[in-house]
Amino acid sequence: MRAYLNTINNPWRVFDELVSEFPYDLFNNAWRTRTGYSPRVNVWESDKGVAVEAEVAGIDPDKLEVAVDANVLTLKGEKERADGSRNEFQRSFNLPFELDNEGIKATVKNGMLTVLIPRKAAAEKRKIAIEKL
Amino acid sequence: MSLIKKNEPEVQKMNRQEVTPVSRVDETDDAFTLTLELPGVTEKDIDLSLEERTLSVTAENTVETFKDYTLVLSEIPEMRYRAAFELPERVDTAGIKAAHKNGLLILTLPKREEVKPRRIAITAG
Repeated sequence: MRAYLNTINNPWRVFDELVSEFPYDLFNNAWRTRTGYSPRVNVWESDKGVAVEAEVAGIDPDKLEVAVDANVLTLKGEKERADGSRNEFQRSFNLPFELDNEGIKATVKNGMLTVLIPRKAAAEKRKIAIEKL
Repeated sequence: MSLIKKNEPEVQKMNRQEVTPVSRVDETDDAFTLTLELPGVTEKDIDLSLEERTLSVTAENTVETFKDYTLVLSEIPEMRYRAAFELPERVDTAGIKAAHKNGLLILTLPKREEVKPRRIAITAG
């Protein structure tokens, strides 16, 4: 319903979304899974790591879950809808580098979730000695 | 104010996309509760006003920017939330209360005494 209303307010939204997704999907190999409702996000990248902002107004922070597996970041949660029914959502982002799941920092303020995750330090290059037989 | 004299931040303020916030109304015996979703909006950026029986809400969100980071996926624009509600006669406008919690603006609109449901005692004749 929300997506539908937003489309009425801004008929170009569908087009904008396609355009905004396109280069990222193509060059950074990002994929998402959407199950009905899912919050909108802004994703930032740097050589330090990744920063994600998500709109989570009205979602109990205890019902939010942030998980990292290698280079995949997953946001999970549950939102109570107007009719009292519960709506689970899950969104995943495939990032072009591995993340350090020890250093995650997540905060919620004014209905915005901010997640900061550092890049995993690259494993040191090891030179393998070749034995001469 | 002439358009030419506007500085950059003012122009950006004008260019904000205007949206209607997601809202819902609940009813109890004593009051109506109007809940509006305003993610990314701080209290000072909410403007709430009542004119006659029209309750108007305007709010602007703040989109965080991260220094030294590049925005690679952008779904949250800078927006101006705008909504107006025509309150029914049953609402006691003097008793309206507003609370801001977890990105929600929760308005309590108490009902006027005379419209609250009440039990009528039956006296034995």
